[in-house]
Amino acid sequence: MAEHSENQNRVTGDCGSPEHRAHRRLFLQGAMASGLASAASFNALFSVPALAQETKKRGKKCILLWLCGAPSQFETWDPKPGTISGGPFAAIPTSIPGLQISQLMPRCASIMDKLSVIRSMSTEPSEHFQGIDVLTRGEQPRPPFTRPILGSVVAEQLGQLDSPVPQFVLLEPCPEGNEFKSFKAGNWAGWLGAQYGPVRSGGEFAIPDILKPESLSQLDHEDREALRSFLSRKFQNDQQSQAAEGYNAAFNRVKGLMSCAPLFDLEKLPQADRDRYGPGAFAQYALQARHLIENGSTFVMVANGMPWDNHVFQHEMHQMLVPELDNILFQLIGDLEDRGMLQDTMVIAMGEFGRTPWLNEARGRDHYSKAWSLAMAGGGIRPGVVVGQTDPLGFEVTENPIDNRRLFATIFKALGIDPKEQYDLPDLPTFHRVEGNVQPIEELLVG
Amino acid sequence: MQKTITRIHDFKLPTAILGACLLQDHRELIAACLDGIYRVELDTKKHQRIGGHDSYVSSAVYIPEQQTFITAGYDGKLKWFSAQDNSLLREEKVHAFWSWDMALSADQRWLASVTGQYLAGDYKYSPAQETEASVKILDATDGKLVHALRHVPSVQSVAFSHNSQWIAAGNLMGEVRVWDVASGEQVGGFESKDFTSWGIIKSHCYLGGIFAMEFSPDDSELIVCGMGDMRDPMAGNGKQLWQRWNWKESKLVAQTNEKQAGEGLMESLVLHPARDSFLMGGRLRGGDWNAALFDLSSGERIGTIKSGYRITQMLFDNQGRLVVVGGQGQPGKSNEGKFPDFGRVEVYELKT
Repeated sequence: MAEHSENQNRVTGDCGSPEHRAHRRLFLQGAMASGLASAASFNALFSVPALAQETKKRGKKCILLWLCGAPSQFETWDPKPGTISGGPFAAIPTSIPGLQISQLMPRCASIMDKLSVIRSMSTEPSEHFQGIDVLTRGEQPRPPFTRPILGSVVAEQLGQLDSPVPQFVLLEPCPEGNEFKSFKAGNWAGWLGAQYGPVRSGGEFAIPDILKPESLSQLDHEDREALRSFLSRKFQNDQQSQAAEGYNAAFNRVKGLMSCAPLFDLEKLPQADRDRYGPGAFAQYALQARHLIENGSTFVMVANGMPWDNHVFQHEMHQMLVPELDNILFQLIGDLEDRGMLQDTMVIAMGEFGRTPWLNEARGRDHYSKAWSLAMAGGGIRPGVVVGQTDPLGFEVTENPIDNRRLFATIFKALGIDPKEQYDLPDLPTFHRVEGNVQPIEELLVG
Repeated sequence: MQKTITRIHDFKLPTAILGACLLQDHRELIAACLDGIYRVELDTKKHQRIGGHDSYVSSAVYIPEQQTFITAGYDGKLKWFSAQDNSLLREEKVHAFWSWDMALSADQRWLASVTGQYLAGDYKYSPAQETEASVKILDATDGKLVHALRHVPSVQSVAFSHNSQWIAAGNLMGEVRVWDVASGEQVGGFESKDFTSWGIIKSHCYLGGIFAMEFSPDDSELIVCGMGDMRDPMAGNGKQLWQRWNWKESKLVAQTNEKQAGEGLMESLVLHPARDSFLMGGRLRGGDWNAALFDLSSGERIGTIKSGYRITQMLFDNQGRLVVVGGQGQPGKSNEGKFPDFGRVEVYELKT
């Protein structure tokens, strides 16, 4: 263990070069993806080949394309062409005979035999914050206990905590997003502990925090500034004495993560790959997710504000958002397959619920959790399966309703994690990874 | 001088109406609806579905000389119908994507239809370049293509000048291009940043743009409308906005008086027959009107309508009455399998 720690320090140690300092600054600003070029390749970070190999070792991994705001099932996986609820877009055939999806997804249609879709998601929360909470944690909240988010569980179960490569990464160019922003300010890893929380990268589209909150008095504001100034000077002095690196484990952890900064540098990725994924921020971050998974991360969540929440301009927005998602899934699944990684890497594309079968007056679709869809591929998910169905207008699930518990049981089982296992932590009441003794969706599981 | 705008007649159609035209005697209306094309008797409220497109029907125009009406749809097609018997005379696949809007020149010779799918063009989601010509001018009689003109998608509104010499088209990004109809040569235009939102909250992409336009009576200016900038475009709470531009000099002449505007997308413009004022209408998100009459010279608001539904088109009949069409939100509950009607037709009188 001591030897490992030593190696760890060697591979992640700050050499004091200006490059490392630049990466630390960027990392702490949450803006690593903004593109300062690094001269080092990722592999060069590992001075011990065995560790590099270990870090990249094959195991189950997951990429969650978090379609925050909630996409419309009608314009994606469950079209209802020619009906009052179907919207203006047509349905097209797919590589699975008899199965149609939205005309906005021609690329996914061509690889439908590699994807699987649940058309019968039916969940309770119909507001964003609660929906995000349930669909990322798998369960309704039970205060004061906080259930860890999916990425934290997967990182804890399948990841390597001592790896210099972050095991759970959240990539998000647009950290705003009303309810999503509020959610993100909360506790991600819950009772597992902060070490299983995500490393977050992105944020170039953040709103500058320049206004003093009304709740903060001028006196408090000045006190905080004095404290900030003190700590800043202290940090500067410590740096000059070269003592900062040794302070505590947390700081070393940050240093370790900083050493991976090249992994977060979009500019280092091949231009041909960047072109294939498409120019938008979400597409570029999806490519980076693939890159991180290839290089040792276990769970990467890609989010992008809340662009899918189209209460206004539903079709005007989905005409752009869905084709981008279509291409991302096509490229991602193709890349993982080409690299022999699809079998072990699960890709999930979902939001917190669906959209109403009806249009509101503002050309929008509102929140709808009674009947909605999501897509999955790879990582233990049987390809080419469509689970459940909805009625002809998409109002109700008519076959095989799936709730958040069954979804999570399926995800965990496919990744090789026991859904029924009880958490064994001090001072914690009896909690299971998935509550309610529910069964995974067997038809979705490989072998 | 203030005008009173009074509703004198109203009824419903099965689904929302996106566009409309009046037929010869102005007693009948062709309604472009989500579920097809309806022929409507304004006085008796009788209506009949006489055809459809493979998607929403987005606009309709009537050619008196030919006794035909033409519809455009989100299937990218234009369809010619006989006004005498509603028979389908011709159909042309004009665009690969939607026809967002269609216009007929005043001399009844030219039809124009505009298209364009908004696709991601860069990291910040500026629109990608067009993959098909965004503006097409057709011979109104035989549907033959006259000009295919370039623009940046999505192109959402189009209008001919009153002298039929120019055509203007406006897009998502607030850019308006003006061409000479005869030559197809671009002769002017402007770009207004005020109609487009980039959503730093929720949606960091572009929404909005110019949804309707009209040339001024002397054709020297263009009046355009839409919705003002929003930090959160999903709120739909941008200012009810019109602007008047000298399109030859790319110069803003006038715009909505802020104190007279509420919130909501404006998507219909029409000149008053007296040519001294214009009406702008759309959706009410905040405020107390969703259509208003504005004095053309001063820009002052001189009359308002609060319809209670989204207005998509307004037309004046030959008696000076205002015909307003649009739609409420789509009902979420059916009554024994039938959804309540949510398309709206209303007739108003304007009095001083």
